[in-house]
This record gives sequence, structure tokens and C-alpha cells, in this order.
Amino acid sequence: MPVLEVQSIKKSFGAVEVLKNIGFSLEKGQSLAVIGSSGSGKTTLLRCLNFLERPDGGRILVNGKTVFDAAAVKSQSEAQIRQNRLHFGLVFQNFNLFPQYTALQNVTLAQELLARSQPDYQRSKKAILEEIRTRAQGLLASVGLSNRMDNYPHQLSGGQQQRVAIARALALQPDILCFDEPTSALDPELTGEVLGVIRSLAERDTTMVIVTHEMAFARDVSDCIIFMDDGRIVEQGTPDQVINHPQMERTKAFLSRF
Amino acid sequence: MNAATVIFQRLSESFWLNCKLFGLTLLFSVPLGFVVAFGSMSRFKPLAWLTRTFVWAIRGTPLMLQVIIIYFAPGLLFEMTPWGSGSSGRLVACTIAFVINYACYFSEIYRGGIEAVPRGQYEAGKVLGLTKSQIFFRVTLLQLVKGILPPMGNEIITLIKDTALARIISNKEIIMMAQEYASKGLIWPLFSTAIYFLVFVGGLTLLFGWIEKKMDYFRV
Repeated sequence: MPVLEVQSIKKSFGAVEVLKNIGFSLEKGQSLAVIGSSGSGKTTLLRCLNFLERPDGGRILVNGKTVFDAAAVKSQSEAQIRQNRLHFGLVFQNFNLFPQYTALQNVTLAQELLARSQPDYQRSKKAILEEIRTRAQGLLASVGLSNRMDNYPHQLSGGQQQRVAIARALALQPDILCFDEPTSALDPELTGEVLGVIRSLAERDTTMVIVTHEMAFARDVSDCIIFMDDGRIVEQGTPDQVINHPQMERTKAFLSRF
Repeated sequence: MNAATVIFQRLSESFWLNCKLFGLTLLFSVPLGFVVAFGSMSRFKPLAWLTRTFVWAIRGTPLMLQVIIIYFAPGLLFEMTPWGSGSSGRLVACTIAFVINYACYFSEIYRGGIEAVPRGQYEAGKVLGLTKSQIFFRVTLLQLVKGILPPMGNEIITLIKDTALARIISNKEIIMMAQEYASKGLIWPLFSTAIYFLVFVGGLTLLFGWIEKKMDYFRV
């Protein structure tokens, strides 16, 4: 059973149809790269997965369970949406770290707030918070930031901020980790360190959806690639199929620019 | 005791009323401003429209007039006397007018501050599963407080000077007290009231400088 199934997602902003019948599925441990020119709907797709936009039509299933159904959208409560959201993690293009918290606090904040609803929170508060802290330190170490945990975001480089953001998303142990052009705001040198972290996540079989403009990276890291144009999936398949042997004229035209 | 000491004592006593009005106004208008701000930003259009019209009316008319209306209108129009008698009633009426007026000004500052917090901050909070109130209190509030400190400092400095308007309904604040001396031909007490305001504002300036420094550890 695929961990993620997206079925005929549609989304319009006013009269502009941004997503026209998008459907795909993703197996556990696989990484999917979504490529395409700006305005092709890649980011909107990602935002739909993370409930930042509400699709006008279609369904989203995680582990076979429906987490979004446009036909039953009214019956979804705020709390349910929040619950379903936790299946997904999202790393933003411009990091969006919380500026008033240190790197470590950025990683622990959401977990600490979620832990409050645990039944034994009051009794074992200290142990729970300690555990969250230890895990966050481990995550920051795994993205190479063990010596930067107590720094505030403005004291970190863009690449370091983005690695904190990755650790923050990982802390909630999402089923699917999404990246929205994670290196577009970084210079080439810093891009490398962030891509390195994503690469190592792929090697550890993290399920990921990566919207990116880094073709070489998409080819090396992903298990499958989707090429989008004008709100549609034009072509999908293995990196070899889509990037090395594209079938559609539109895909060829897009790739010829790299 | 010489005459000057007595005069300064009486001026100080009357300045206490300015301070009370200042403190009470801040106490209520700072939180009420948030209510007004959220009202004017409401996605429920009639509420947003109603709130913005109210803010326009309050900001568009003199505070002095509002004090007079709040104090006299219930009695003249409805034959009600909600303010109680004597000086305490006059202070209550005056405080209410000030609270409403300042809440409206604060609400516009808050609205600017809230809108200045990048949308990405809300979205980051959302994807991390935070509730709306957690996002407000744990993510955006401190950033917005940092952003609105300078304009808030300005308004609060204006507030202490506006308290002199309380005299319009015979609240015996410092300038009214000093004018009583002036009408008897003694002019220096009136001039010396400036000292009280200057010292007060000096303290406020230091306080705001200190708070801004305290929040210097992060950049929005």
C-alpha cells in the first residue's frame, strides 16, 4: 500500500486553474522530485498536501486513510485538520524559522506544545521535556549543527537556517516530508550543504516530496520524478525515464535548458 | 512650611490624578485594542465594517468632545446617572472615554504590527500542528510587540499629556490646579507643571529604551 495517494486534485485561484486533475502515489521510503517551470503548480500542490491551501476537488490518502476529501470538506474540524497535517512535514523556501527562539527551541517548540495533550503530561512533565530536548539535540547534530544549537536564526547562515528547519520538520516524525524549493534562497555554496542533508535523508529511506529546480540533484536522489506544466502532470517515471529519456515534447523543451 | 512647598505639595497631589488616569487607561486600552484590531480584521465583513467605522468616528473627533459626551450624554439623553456623584464619578467617565479613544489608536498600531509579521511565520506554525492561539501567543506575539514598540512609545507619551483634558469635566488635574493659582495672580505654578510632565516622559523614554534593548536578542 502506498504511503501517499493523491487522487485528482484540483485547485483554482479565482478564474485561474492552478492544478488540473493531479494524481500520483508514493511508496514508503521513496523520494519523489517534482520539477517544472515557475507557475506550473508545483508549490501549490505541496501547499495542498500540507493543508495550507484547500483543494477544490480530489482526495488525499495517507497509509490508505483519507486525510482530505473535497466532497466532505465541511465536516472536517479545525482539530482534525491539525491532526491530519502531522502526517506531513514542510520545509519552506525561505526557512521561516521563529526568530525569537534559538535553533534548539525552534526544534522543540511544537513537540513541547503537542506533549501537553498527553495524558501523563502533568505527572512526568520533566521526563517528557527532557526526552524532547535530547531528541532535538540529536536531530540538530544529524544535520551538522551540534555547535549552533543555542544560536538565534539571525546568527546563522541561510544554509544553517535551512538545516534547522529540516530538523524542526523531522522532529514531529512526519510520514511524508515535503520540501518547497529548499535551496532557491541560497547561494551555490550553501546549496550544497542543504542538498547533502536531504541526500542523507534519502539514503535513510525518508519518504519525501521535493519540489526543486536542481535537476542533477533530482536525478541523483529521487526514486521517481514528476514533471509538471500548466497545472498538469506531463510525465512521470524514474529519473532515468523522465530526465534521460523524456517522451513528451514539453519535457524535452524544459530539460533542454539545463 | 513656606508657600512654595505647599503649592508643590498640592500640584503633586493633583498630578496623582493624571497618573491614575494614565495608568487606568493603559491597563484597559492595551488589551481592548487587540479586540478592536481583531474586529477590524475580521473575515466576517459586517463586523469588520462596523469596527472600522467606529474607529473612524473615534479617531475623527476630539478626545475632549468624547469626554464631554461620555460624561453628560447618559443624563441628558436617557436621564441616567451611571457615573456616580462627585469626583470619583467624573474620573470614571473620563477613564472610559480615554480607554475607548486609546484602544482605537492602539488597534491601528496592532493591526499594522500583525500584518507586518510575515505570513510564513503563521504557515510554519500551522504545518507544525500548532493551534491558532498557540501561533498567536508563542510565535507572532513577541515579534509584533517588538515591531510596535516605537509607535506605542509615541502614543503612550501622548497619553500622559492628554490626561490634562480631564479638567474639561472638572477633574482636578495638575494644570487645573495650577490655573487656580494663576487666576489669583500667581503664575509660576502653571509654568512649573511642565516639570512633572518632563520627568514623567523622561521615565517613559528610559523604560521604552530598556524594553527595546531587552528585545534586541532577535531580529524579525
